[in-house]
Amino acid sequence: MSKKILHSLNLNGEEVEVATPAGATLLETMREDLRILSAKRGCNQGVCGACTVLIDGKPVRACLTLTARCEGHAVQTMEGMGGDRVMATLQRHMVESGGVQCGFCTSGILISARELLEEDPAPSRAAVKTALSGNICRCTGYRTIVDAVCSAAEELAQ
Amino acid sequence: MSVVLSPGSVEDAVAMLAEHAEAMPLAGGATLVAMRNAGLVEPTHLINLDCIAELRGIERDTTGGIRIGAMTRHCDTAACNDLTGSLLVLRRAAGMIANRVVRNMGTMGGSVANADPAADYLPALACCDAVLEVAGPEGRRKISIHDYVQGWYETALEQGEIITAITLPAPVAAPSAYRKIARVTGDYATASCAMALDPDGKGLRAAIGACGPGPLRDRDAEAVLRGRLDDPEAVLDFAACLAALADPLDDVRGSAEYRLRLIPRLITSVLSEIALQTEVA
Repeated sequence: MSKKILHSLNLNGEEVEVATPAGATLLETMREDLRILSAKRGCNQGVCGACTVLIDGKPVRACLTLTARCEGHAVQTMEGMGGDRVMATLQRHMVESGGVQCGFCTSGILISARELLEEDPAPSRAAVKTALSGNICRCTGYRTIVDAVCSAAEELAQ
Repeated sequence: MSVVLSPGSVEDAVAMLAEHAEAMPLAGGATLVAMRNAGLVEPTHLINLDCIAELRGIERDTTGGIRIGAMTRHCDTAACNDLTGSLLVLRRAAGMIANRVVRNMGTMGGSVANADPAADYLPALACCDAVLEVAGPEGRRKISIHDYVQGWYETALEQGEIITAITLPAPVAAPSAYRKIARVTGDYATASCAMALDPDGKGLRAAIGACGPGPLRDRDAEAVLRGRLDDPEAVLDFAACLAALADPLDDVRGSAEYRLRLIPRLITSVLSEIALQTEVA
């Protein structure tokens, strides 16, 4: 239906060329053209947080970011964070605490939580809740997620 | 689907907007891309303002006044050490917008251009007597924040004009604060209040948000209140003047009647908050 445009992106440390519809969002390009599936399409309105990724190290909504704007910037998704110690610790505590149920919100939650721990390595429960206020979870009721972030912070501090 | 154009100068951006009838300027995308995703707008072209150096950064001029480039992200405004004293209210408002992730994306120019009545910048800017710098096909001009909102989502911006900067008078040593009543952290305001004390502590400037198409400010009532801040009756009379300017809506965040009741409560509570700041300082 629509014309595809070629973009070069720096995705998870690799230079990739991708043909994507004109005006596509980063979320559309990642999921439809690159099969990067950790970022989820929830609301597509920037509200639910399920598509949160890092651009130049800062968390943003992939559903509100145009692919055309990502040229010359570093895009990082969960797929590229396997070697990150903070992320690995957060992931393990999320699993152990029951912070993962259906999993749809999980990668967005983890990216927001990792950003929090980078700025505040010993956050209060209130600070964790505020930091995750832009990530919606419909399964857990949040308590187990907050538990996971707090216990991961404690382990990382040791 | 929209063609994305990325001009390198304000002049090029204005020319592109003039050339394509269905083009829209794209700032941070936090609202416009969401609207496009929902099918509420269908621009043929998005004019990406992210590559224009002139629109970036926060600078001080020779008189101490502050110029905030329109593409400045909320996170940078919320962390700006130049916004002190009478301008602290703007820094606080920026830090209460949505959540950290959205603050990394959204811009002051984009938020002001969208003129959502429940958004945080307009009351803070009205309290600071801000001036908007805009550019369009007829050239550049300035618009006082007090003349900017003309109706619900209607502004003094003409077709094809973009905001290039928001300018503020030099900060003075006087406390200021921003408070919003919202259903949950990060929601738009049910009602909000931006307030700054005069440097001598005898008067104030105050603007109410989310209770009409634009921020409510009554400079005549502020003059009447001057010298009487410790008189609770005078403060309530002042709040009643602002409530008389209100044109609140019933919506999902609260009823019009509830909003009218919030106005005097916001005025008295924010006033006691900044009075406390004075005692500490």
